Amino acid sequence: MSVTHLPNAHYAGLIAADKSTLLGNDLAWLNSLREKASSEFADGGFPAPREEEWRYTNISPIEKSQFSIATDAGAVDANFLQDVLFDDCHHLVFVDGFYQADLSSVGELPEGVVVSAISSGLVEHEGLVKSLLDSVVSTEALGFINFNTALFTDGAVISIEENTTVDKPIQLAFISSKDADLNLSNCRNMIIAKASSKATVIETYHGVEGSCYLTNVVTEVVVEPNANLSHNRLQAESLKAYHMGGVYSRLDKNAIFSQYNYMFGAVLSRAEVHADLGEASDCTMDGLYIGMDHQHIDNHTRVNHAQPHAISNEFYKGIMGDRSRGVFQGRIIVAEDAQKTDAKMSNRNLLISNRAEVDSKPQLEIYADDVKCAHGVTVGQLDDAAIFYLRSRGADEEMAKNMLTFAFANEMVERISFLPLRLKVLEELLKRFPQQGMKIEWP
Amino acid sequence: MLKIEDLHVSVEGKEILKGINLELGKGEVHAIMGPNGSGKSTLSYILAGRDGYNITKGRVLFNGKDLLEMSVEERAWAGVFLAFQYPVEVPGVSNIYFLKAALNGIRKFNGESELDAMDFISMVKDKMKALEMDEKFLYRAVNEGFSGGEKKRNEVLQMSVLEPALCVLDETDSGLDIDALQVVAEGINRLRDPERSFLIITHYQRLLDYIKPDFVHVLANGRVVKSGGPELALELEEQGYAWVEDKKAS
Repeated sequence: MSVTHLPNAHYAGLIAADKSTLLGNDLAWLNSLREKASSEFADGGFPAPREEEWRYTNISPIEKSQFSIATDAGAVDANFLQDVLFDDCHHLVFVDGFYQADLSSVGELPEGVVVSAISSGLVEHEGLVKSLLDSVVSTEALGFINFNTALFTDGAVISIEENTTVDKPIQLAFISSKDADLNLSNCRNMIIAKASSKATVIETYHGVEGSCYLTNVVTEVVVEPNANLSHNRLQAESLKAYHMGGVYSRLDKNAIFSQYNYMFGAVLSRAEVHADLGEASDCTMDGLYIGMDHQHIDNHTRVNHAQPHAISNEFYKGIMGDRSRGVFQGRIIVAEDAQKTDAKMSNRNLLISNRAEVDSKPQLEIYADDVKCAHGVTVGQLDDAAIFYLRSRGADEEMAKNMLTFAFANEMVERISFLPLRLKVLEELLKRFPQQGMKIEWP
Repeated sequence: MLKIEDLHVSVEGKEILKGINLELGKGEVHAIMGPNGSGKSTLSYILAGRDGYNITKGRVLFNGKDLLEMSVEERAWAGVFLAFQYPVEVPGVSNIYFLKAALNGIRKFNGESELDAMDFISMVKDKMKALEMDEKFLYRAVNEGFSGGEKKRNEVLQMSVLEPALCVLDETDSGLDIDALQVVAEGINRLRDPERSFLIITHYQRLLDYIKPDFVHVLANGRVVKSGGPELALELEEQGYAWVEDKKAS
């Protein structure tokens, strides 16, 4: 359903502005793609709350805030950078929407593997970019995708060669600098894991605390037959920022794709995680979201079982405190031909404040008749008996509550196999729910 | 150590304890026996500080301080420990972390420094060995998926790590087979100390075969109807609770 919702003058102005300075402006195919997206955005704008997929998330603060696209990257402290970059990774660093070669470091890669910023690799990898760009996105966040396609300033292009394993994870770090107030960072990423390849990609989002900016990012993923791609996403934006992110993936026959989604930052955020599943492919979607204060966090997943014998496992956990609001919308579509589908979806929420709210909406659309589909949603509070038990052993009340809240989330932390990422997620958790002596306990 | 004076407690308007008087000296082991519904578990929860009970009359002094004025955790810090009849499962919190947080909370209150991680682990492992507990329990979530007997052992493990001044054991023998009962009882006996008192709440005499009490009290209908030495437990075993209940009526 398309709903007419015209962009306001500010964003209409951004989209209508001269694009001749944009990345790749000498490529006719890219210009025409950008023009098409521009005209669609001019007609449809950002999603309106009356659209079903957006009824729990009102993005009008983004429209009102009038974010603008920077012309260049601001400065980032060395300490800040050191804190957000993981050890034992290849790094591409983007600041305010622009690739920073001097902050990035890509180590030796197997032959045929591409790990590059679009800006520095567009000449060499034009064919790759052309084949991937706009090839996997779906329509539920179309306004933001069109806006991104029309105006993206940079992003990563990753191609894992057939029969090749990239041992070290590839970290794409998107940083909003301290000069980023009211900046709009529009990056576009493309990842292809070719047949029988294996790799791990970690996208991380960070901003200098207190600054108000918008990240609007789109990642497109193709996982070819028998390839195994792990894709991780850590959203740790400034608590005043806005974050609209999407991961759109296509899994070919027998492909394995694991998507791990951690949403901690931003005052208003949404992650779209979509996957189209080929025959006998295997898709995992795990998520952890924590809202405090007035945060609004929306996770929107879509698993499209288009072919038979595919497996999907989805498990999202959320903790909402203070006056925060969480949204989970999980949609599973099983096409008529997708016999022997095995789809599981679970969403568990913990409310730790009586003013917090969560809206969880599982949607199953099943058109095949020989399938296994299971879904479950829970919304609960901390167990009073457990709080009493912990207190009776000497934990004060706050400590007892923190222990139980931490434990609820820790199930997801323990699933993270790459230790630096696990520690980072743990750090975000401990910031919110301090644990006595926890650092020592951690292996 | 512990002095309970004319304690009256009601739950939702129904009086459960109707004037309990009890005094435990340092190093003494007291057993409270009684039939179901006599108020035994209520008494243990009152001592630990659980919500939902209305104390209408009386007071409880612990080392001279008003226990009922203290929060749940303050009682733990001061040295009161309740071994639960039904230990609570705490998913996601590992036993080792739980034990360490509890011990350090108590040490902090007493102005002691936190234990070094290595010293702590080796101390806990020694105590587990004595209770014939597998080390794997350290890394499992507290009580989650434990059998009844494993939960009870875990309570006694916590008690032996935290070394409280007053141990209240609520039906610790339930769910234990004869071998486990002996191991648990030995664990408790090892903790007997001239500075430490025990209040053992039990329906059956069998735990008292292994832990010899100094005094036995019979609780019925919210009152202590009879007190005596260890021989009272045997008498009860032979004659059943009807005997004391009749006695009270007469």
